[in-house]
Amino acid sequence: MTQATADPVTTEVVRNFVISCAEDMNASLWRSAHSAVIYEGKDSAVALMDADGNMLGQSTGVPLFIGAIDVCVKHVKDYYGDDIAEGDVFIMNDSYLQGTHLHDITAVGPLFHEGELVGFGAARAHWNDIGAMDPGTIMGSTNIYQEGLRLGPTRIIRKGEPLREWYDLLRLNTRLPDASIGDLGAQIAAIRTGQQRLQQLIGKIGPATYRAACQNIFEQARRMDREAIAAIPDGTWSREGYLDNDGVGDEPVKVALTLTVKGEELIVDLNGTSGPVPGSVNCGASQTHSLLRLAYKTMINSDRAITGGSFETMTVIIPDECMFNAGEPAACEWYFTGLGLLADLFISCLSEAMPERSTAAHYGDSMVMGFFSVDPRRGQWISIEPTAGGWGGRSDGDGESALINLVNGGFRNIPGEVMEIKFPLRLEEFSFRTDSGGAGRHRGGCGVVRRYRTLEDCYAAIWFERSRTPAWGLNGGEDGAGPHVEVRHPDGTVEELLKMRARPIAAGTVVETQTGGGGGNGVARERPFEEVVTDVRRGYVSVEGAMKDYGVKVGADLTADVAGSEPRT
Amino acid sequence: MTNTYRVSADIGGTFTDIVFQDAESGACGAVKVLSTPKNPALAVLEGIHAAIPADAEIDFFVHGTTVGLNALLTRNGAKVALLTNENFRDIYTIQGNDRGEIFSIRWNKPEPLATLEHTYAARGRIAGSGEVVEPLNTDDLDALVEATRKEGYEAIAIAFLFSFVNPEHEKAAAAYLAERLPGIPIGLSHRVSPEWREFERTSTVVMDSYLAPVVQTYLQTLVESLKDRLPAGQGLHVMESNGGVMTVASASETPLQTLLSGPVGGATGGKALAAGIGRPNLICVDMGGTSFDASLIIDGLPSQSNETKLEGLPVQMSVVDIHVIGAGGGSIAWQEAGAMRVGPQSAGSDPGPVCYGRGGAEPTVSDANLVLGRLDSANFGGDITLDVEAARRALAGMGETFGLSAEAMAQGVIDVINAKMADAIRTITVQRGIDPRDFSLVAFGGAGPAQAAALAEELMIGEVIVPVHPGAFSAWGMLQTDVRHDFKETLYSFWDLMEPATLDAAFTGLEDRGRAYLREEGVADEAITFERLIDFRYFGQEYVLSIPVPGGAVDMDAVRKSFDEAYLRQYGHNSPENRVEMANIRVAAVGRLPRPDNAPPAAEPAKPARERKVVFGGEAMSTAILDRNAISAGDEVAGPAIIEESTATTLIPPGWQARLIDGGHLSLTREPAS
Repeated sequence: MTQATADPVTTEVVRNFVISCAEDMNASLWRSAHSAVIYEGKDSAVALMDADGNMLGQSTGVPLFIGAIDVCVKHVKDYYGDDIAEGDVFIMNDSYLQGTHLHDITAVGPLFHEGELVGFGAARAHWNDIGAMDPGTIMGSTNIYQEGLRLGPTRIIRKGEPLREWYDLLRLNTRLPDASIGDLGAQIAAIRTGQQRLQQLIGKIGPATYRAACQNIFEQARRMDREAIAAIPDGTWSREGYLDNDGVGDEPVKVALTLTVKGEELIVDLNGTSGPVPGSVNCGASQTHSLLRLAYKTMINSDRAITGGSFETMTVIIPDECMFNAGEPAACEWYFTGLGLLADLFISCLSEAMPERSTAAHYGDSMVMGFFSVDPRRGQWISIEPTAGGWGGRSDGDGESALINLVNGGFRNIPGEVMEIKFPLRLEEFSFRTDSGGAGRHRGGCGVVRRYRTLEDCYAAIWFERSRTPAWGLNGGEDGAGPHVEVRHPDGTVEELLKMRARPIAAGTVVETQTGGGGGNGVARERPFEEVVTDVRRGYVSVEGAMKDYGVKVGADLTADVAGSEPRT
Repeated sequence: MTNTYRVSADIGGTFTDIVFQDAESGACGAVKVLSTPKNPALAVLEGIHAAIPADAEIDFFVHGTTVGLNALLTRNGAKVALLTNENFRDIYTIQGNDRGEIFSIRWNKPEPLATLEHTYAARGRIAGSGEVVEPLNTDDLDALVEATRKEGYEAIAIAFLFSFVNPEHEKAAAAYLAERLPGIPIGLSHRVSPEWREFERTSTVVMDSYLAPVVQTYLQTLVESLKDRLPAGQGLHVMESNGGVMTVASASETPLQTLLSGPVGGATGGKALAAGIGRPNLICVDMGGTSFDASLIIDGLPSQSNETKLEGLPVQMSVVDIHVIGAGGGSIAWQEAGAMRVGPQSAGSDPGPVCYGRGGAEPTVSDANLVLGRLDSANFGGDITLDVEAARRALAGMGETFGLSAEAMAQGVIDVINAKMADAIRTITVQRGIDPRDFSLVAFGGAGPAQAAALAEELMIGEVIVPVHPGAFSAWGMLQTDVRHDFKETLYSFWDLMEPATLDAAFTGLEDRGRAYLREEGVADEAITFERLIDFRYFGQEYVLSIPVPGGAVDMDAVRKSFDEAYLRQYGHNSPENRVEMANIRVAAVGRLPRPDNAPPAAEPAKPARERKVVFGGEAMSTAILDRNAISAGDEVAGPAIIEESTATTLIPPGWQARLIDGGHLSLTREPAS
């Protein structure tokens, strides 16, 4: 066979194609999904790969899914070898193989053109129920067998024919059989969309030219990454922090990261991180890789599309006995909690190497608040949402306030008006949490205060994190405030807690959640008077905070009293 | 006897397009004049002067304006104070807390139009049921009264929680403030947008307060400037974001509705075109120098949304869906890491493409078209003579790094930009479950007709329509529309718990308001019609589908069924067994405007046909260059050919042919025409 080539024009057309094909696949998934968590929460991702399983194009609603789908193709190929035919579809969700929790089902299908294998399509989606110990999101698991049905690479469609016994097995192992099988249908539809578009393109340019163009795309992405890493000065940086606990115990959980830049290579070493823990904050290695790719992307070639060949400059070392390299029987339901901290550590290490992109730590986790119950009028209802918080100060500006955490992306808060009309809940306050952002030349963003009042008896569940290692500052900037949650019962008792497994609460209970702020960047005494005064006027900083944290005296007329303030440096 | 004319103006940043229609014969003509941004009416007057005899009467004038949008883009609106509930002062600045760019840690939220130091809060709370939980404390308003005098606020926006259920507190606060601050306009969220979601409603009322004074001043100036041709603003109309028109008096009352008035002309033109040529499904693409706008006509109607975002800030109002990407004649080719890219950066009109000879050095799409022989250096319009050699040098220079000739590089630039535009069309069709092959592609704007056939091939679309006066199609579209006002009300309920009488009363209430508006504007009762819609979703979902509901008594089962059917069409499956909730009701009040049928343009003398080499698929082919005026009904123009007219160049590649259809529009098809 002669070596085909693809000219730069064809290559650019194919590059646009792989991105747009992935977007079409994702749109197809979102349009035909049955569960709101997919078509509204966008808890899904799709990818188009070449025949060897190398990532070409992807589209994702959750940034954390940036790079753990191609690994599923490799598992399918390893398991089935040559026994992969046109029209086949395979699914899997094993946390230890694909990395996430068992709720995430990945479907993989080979793509053929005139009998020749030309690629793979994959679609991952969050299923609301996969048969775990509790319905919905579970909070007390200590081994994976409590978290639901676990599937390695499993063929469910053979040459276009659904395998009935596998469908029945899935149906029998979920509390929501219709929605789950409906969502699976949407995932398969996404793969079919990829198949159609790829056949159309290859019909036009031929499989050999397509393959050559893909090689060019890999090479171009590699080259861009190599150039970017080479531009970073060589060095080694280390950071560590602690999770509050593993969700069931009360011991802090250590997360450590060492980052080395050497020429065109970036090496991440997680030695020093805690071993597997009893609670469910363990994470499979694939998703650890995925998180590190996300963190990498926030600092390097951030404005470029992700195609095949990206990230090859990064080497990741994870010890065998590590919470981020979960194996049986580690529980993984809250696998992303540790990843938020890991991302902050990574970004802080690179911030030393890349001062122009320096970004302090953010508030760090999803901070989930849930209320639910069953009543005659509404039937079963659930109000569950991640809560926004403060982001880290940057080399060139303040951290953003009240923004959703890194591993999420498109999640929006539930409007108070929607909440009170649909659910027996009243939002009594939604505001910036004053003085929560870490002080600094560039201030950390503020967390939020969200105060709920229950109007009827119901259940509540809470998962807040990062009180032991709140968002830290950089370059002399101060740490942001950690989270704070109070449950005020109608009888006057007040509980301060950060995690609460689902339990009943009475009508009239007030739950006030306060999320953490971001770390500051640079020395607070360098922040100009007028910026501190504006912060006070806007309520980000109190008059007392301005004096204590910034040495700026703000008068009753909300202007700076320069004589009564410490001089700026 | 003097003629009477209907006139429209599409006022752009560089040019103002004027289309004039003889009210008797229906025949249209177009002129293009340079815009006069300081007082846009001057360009309008110049255009009218050039096109219409001084003694002729103008009985209808409509224009699209970007005054409001420009004030927003340049942050030149009024100084606004915002009044909200205590403990919710920050909601307008907090916004939705989602991240606009999910892979970025440096993304910032859009800057609000009223920042926190200009936001004031008052005690008082209304529950979701409408019940007053805590009375309004008017003492808290005194700080705002004092600050307004000190800070010089030009407008006040009030947004209290649940005002769309019970507006008592908003009204009471407004009365208290109006008494103490005479002359300061006060916007109330329940009037501007009686719809739930506090952040979005607040954003809408602030946007209204921010832009109202600017738009009102502009309209006064316009009426004054045009008074010789349109005494007292008689017949003067403004396009609305929803594709309808309204009188200047209405526009002054609801200035927000003018916000997207500029680009909707293309979609309303598409709607008229769909009816005129009997093609109900159209993809309308407008390609100019820097941007590519795409909109859809489905079953004869423009695709619409009930909410949009401008500068990242949401606005709850009915708008025609227009998808915009950075792709145009000025899009620049560049390279990185050995790869070739085109756009979204544009050379704009200054310096413009290399061939303009105004200092542009980077090759653009227009340069590529010129080098391929698709544009005529001497017949580009205006006073510009295009510099082919400079364009060729720029393309050859960049081609060298890829090992491509100037011609191959030029073809590459065109292929890449076409792929991007095709993707933009996929975004609004394929990704919403719509098959573009069921559509005709309508191409207009200065650069659209040159790319249209290639775009159609990419999307496997069988027919391209190049309308009469493609460069002024948006202005033409403005003459084809009716007066329209949209009304809405949040009425949340499970559908199975909804009382038909309650629903009917709510609809009738909105229709009464619509009728009053239209009568005020002089629309006769027999010309008034209503469209009813309900926003539905399955229980547990967040986003809604707006379902049309027939007038009269509501057939609850039939409406439910039509939701299930619409859901199936949109998403490929449905759940008739699931409970359904309704969120809002909507009424569009339409006042039909009398207008003549469109007639083909009057014949004009045609330039003689020529021939030159044009490159198609890498091969220089002898190509006929025809004047559009030379093509008569029944003629077949076989590709390769180029059809030139004053505002655009239509490219007919080999394998395509063109013919005139009803109304004088050009139809390009791939299959041999019979």
